[in-house]
Amino acid sequence: MKLRFYHVDAFAEKLFSGNPAGVCPLDKWLSDDLLKAIAMENNLSETAFFVKEAEGYHIRWLTPGGLEVNLCGHATLATSHVLFNHEGFTGDEIQYISRSGILKVRKNEDRLTLNFPVDEYERVKTPAELAIALNIQPRECYRGKNDYMVVFEKEEDLKKLKPNFTGLNMSEAVGVICTAKGNSVDYVSRYLIPTGTINEDPATGSAHTTLTPYWSGVLNKKEMTCVQLSERKGYFRCVNLGDRIEISGKARTYLKGEINIEENDTH
Amino acid sequence: MKLKLYRVDAFTDKLFSGNPTAVCPLDKWLTDDLMRTIAAENCLSATAFYIKEGDNFHIRWFTPTLELDLNGNATLATAHVLVNHLGYSGTEINFNSRSGMLKVKKQDDKFTINFPADEYERVKNPAELSIALSARPMECYRGKADYMLVYGSEQEIVNLKPNFRTMAMVDSRGIIVTAPGSQTDFVSRFFAPHSGINEDYVTGSAHATLVPYWAQKLGKVNMSAMQLSSRKGYLNCTFIGERVELSGKAVTYLVGEIETE
Repeated sequence: MKLRFYHVDAFAEKLFSGNPAGVCPLDKWLSDDLLKAIAMENNLSETAFFVKEAEGYHIRWLTPGGLEVNLCGHATLATSHVLFNHEGFTGDEIQYISRSGILKVRKNEDRLTLNFPVDEYERVKTPAELAIALNIQPRECYRGKNDYMVVFEKEEDLKKLKPNFTGLNMSEAVGVICTAKGNSVDYVSRYLIPTGTINEDPATGSAHTTLTPYWSGVLNKKEMTCVQLSERKGYFRCVNLGDRIEISGKARTYLKGEINIEENDTH
Repeated sequence: MKLKLYRVDAFTDKLFSGNPTAVCPLDKWLTDDLMRTIAAENCLSATAFYIKEGDNFHIRWFTPTLELDLNGNATLATAHVLVNHLGYSGTEINFNSRSGMLKVKKQDDKFTINFPADEYERVKNPAELSIALSARPMECYRGKADYMLVYGSEQEIVNLKPNFRTMAMVDSRGIIVTAPGSQTDFVSRFFAPHSGINEDYVTGSAHATLVPYWAQKLGKVNMSAMQLSSRKGYLNCTFIGERVELSGKAVTYLVGEIETE
């Protein structure tokens, strides 16, 4: 069986930036074992699989470790890029059915916009392990549903930040969002994953569910631009809509290809 | 610029096992920086790039961060691509490389690579290694690049759960662990936390140390070997004095075209 396969950089202004995702259009669902094997083989964070259904596209996301996740913004952006640019989707809005319910992605020229519910977060004391792991101390620390968010004085602090991941081995939080006011954009960020096999994510859509409401309040702005200061860099535009946010970005296709598998090919 | 790209599993005849590698045929060399960038984008331990030079090929290997002196997996994968996708019809392929001329021989659906054998000596097991590995080896050797620890049974190798943080303190490229196999002549695993890879899937270069050791131990020149990583690798090995021959199969996962701007 031959399957079409795309490798797309999401939240990227140019090729080799943003967050790479695999996108694999399917006519019908393959076994979970086979989806897992393909995602592991791709070794990209993440691979999205989708099947066209009556109400929209059913989308599922798997990590390079073969785990299915509830929501993945950058792979959804990548999938939309593939549908609009390679798979002949002609509308302006794509509706996805996912583990996290209905997701809609709108196209506006070459920008794609995702719509997410905002995170709920509260001010906390910086946890001691986190303070030890960071070589520069944050000004404020917040705790969202999944992540910590630490706020620094200035963009330069974020660039100089060299976390000691051995010390950052905390199991309770998914990630640590580091942020500061930007010099040429509204705000900048980095996303550290202390417990992951990859310690820093290049471009993290979901982090903006916490970042956007925070910076919207601080800067008194509804629409903001943001750069994620990872090595690859991620580029976002975010709009605060109250209980939801819009995250938009561009995507670039790196690879178009065909994979050749058999139903019984699994690990 | 558009380029062809292949993703190939090396040292296996089963998809989703062996060592995943990428192969990128070129008409002329790209900048080193672009080749490293492509290797990083591929998210694989090695991407091979090659150009044709007369009757031979010039091959270079990149990891996401640097250029390698030698990589057996990606060389086998490149030979597989030349023969199975690009119409190469000879039975021997000559690759000019940073490590000199490498000859890959094709026999049926197997490819054979030829390496210099490693030199190694018996040493005391370093203290950090004893701590990092729960089970005590019977013997410990030091080769040019790696330590090699010999255990009594395949099951002991399967059961090893190293503490990679402690192991990373040992100053060597990697740690080979090996034992006699139950279905193959010997089995192995390769840990390289010091080099940033906790466990490699299939390690051609480790067999430069393994093959002379087991040839002497078992009194055999031709041996079958299995690397017991999560993906498993299968190698046929021959000891020919100062060199070793490794042969294996490869499977194509993806055929595609990449954009490089």
